Amino acid sequence: MTGSAAVPALTGTQQAILAAYTELIEELGSDDVSNRVIARRAGIAERTVFRNYPTRVDLLLATAAWIEATLFAREESHSIFDIPLAIRDAMQRYDARPELAHVVAETAMRGANGAAPSPGRAQLERLLDAEVPSLDAAQRRAVIAALSHLDSVGTWVTFRREFGMDRRDIADAAAWAAEAVLDSIRDRVAP
Amino acid sequence: MEEPVDTATAILASAAVLLRERAFDDISYRALADEVGISERTIYRQYPTRAHLLAALSNWIEQTCFPLPPFVTVSDFCTAVHERFRAFDASPAYAYVGARASAISPTLDTEPAYITRAIEAMLDVAAPTLNRRDRRRVAASLRHFSSAMFWARLRTGFDLDAGEICDAFDRAVGPVLARLPDATWAKP
Repeated sequence: MTGSAAVPALTGTQQAILAAYTELIEELGSDDVSNRVIARRAGIAERTVFRNYPTRVDLLLATAAWIEATLFAREESHSIFDIPLAIRDAMQRYDARPELAHVVAETAMRGANGAAPSPGRAQLERLLDAEVPSLDAAQRRAVIAALSHLDSVGTWVTFRREFGMDRRDIADAAAWAAEAVLDSIRDRVAP
Repeated sequence: MEEPVDTATAILASAAVLLRERAFDDISYRALADEVGISERTIYRQYPTRAHLLAALSNWIEQTCFPLPPFVTVSDFCTAVHERFRAFDASPAYAYVGARASAISPTLDTEPAYITRAIEAMLDVAAPTLNRRDRRRVAASLRHFSSAMFWARLRTGFDLDAGEICDAFDRAVGPVLARLPDATWAKP
């Protein structure tokens, strides 16, 4: 998720559909939006929505990926040790768009039929391998898994819902946990 | 059904049966009504939206299939979480419902999960002098790494099995606890 997550190239029509649906989710929630309303908002015919996204699930997953890649996009980190900063920023961004944050979080928790739950994994692996190449397989996997998990909208949802935290506290706790994960490799960078 | 149960519970029990053969999204209110032997309208009355159904189903599954073993100490907590991850692995369809329900926009008066309170209580005893901010940071980290979401992310995104997920959990929680000075922890 750090940097640019892989997003398939979208046509102008598709972008208009996803942007329209995104607006409507914020206004009405994800349940109550019909294709007809989406089409009207996007200024296209209803069947064009169907042609591009045959099912609700197709539309929802494409929208979640688009939100993640645009509204929730983050600055690229150049070091694994910058990831806590990226996480802090990401949490603030989620907090500004709570409805969208829930949609993105939920679509990533659907198993094989859902959105990829760790879109930033490859980027984290690249950074870690370049800076701390000496980790064994289990250590490497654990660091990547923990950072991927913290660097997700699920963190924002959980901290808010389970602990009633506000924007600042969520950003603080998520970045703090990421720093803790990095403690184990802090002094192991390749010279 | 052998035992009389209320309609709301009967709906959840039937939904859980259907979950064994299809995904949550493929369980229509129509099919659910047929399975329970009631009208579709009755289901809408109990669960006005699919989000309501998902949240209630997740709670029911949590109570019946994934009861949290009690824990007081940090090491009991880790054992309880391992047990949970293994139980998730044995019933992935149920565990994904839990992960999903914990991510949706809350429907009604969502209370913190039992595990959240149990973690807070554990820290109250284990680290009585710890300041409030650090206590919340630790509690939130432990909660997040012990969640169904963590299990789901590692299973789907990393293709890990229960043993590997337990290992990743231990390696995540260790440094979190190690961030606090030794003197934080109450001596038994």
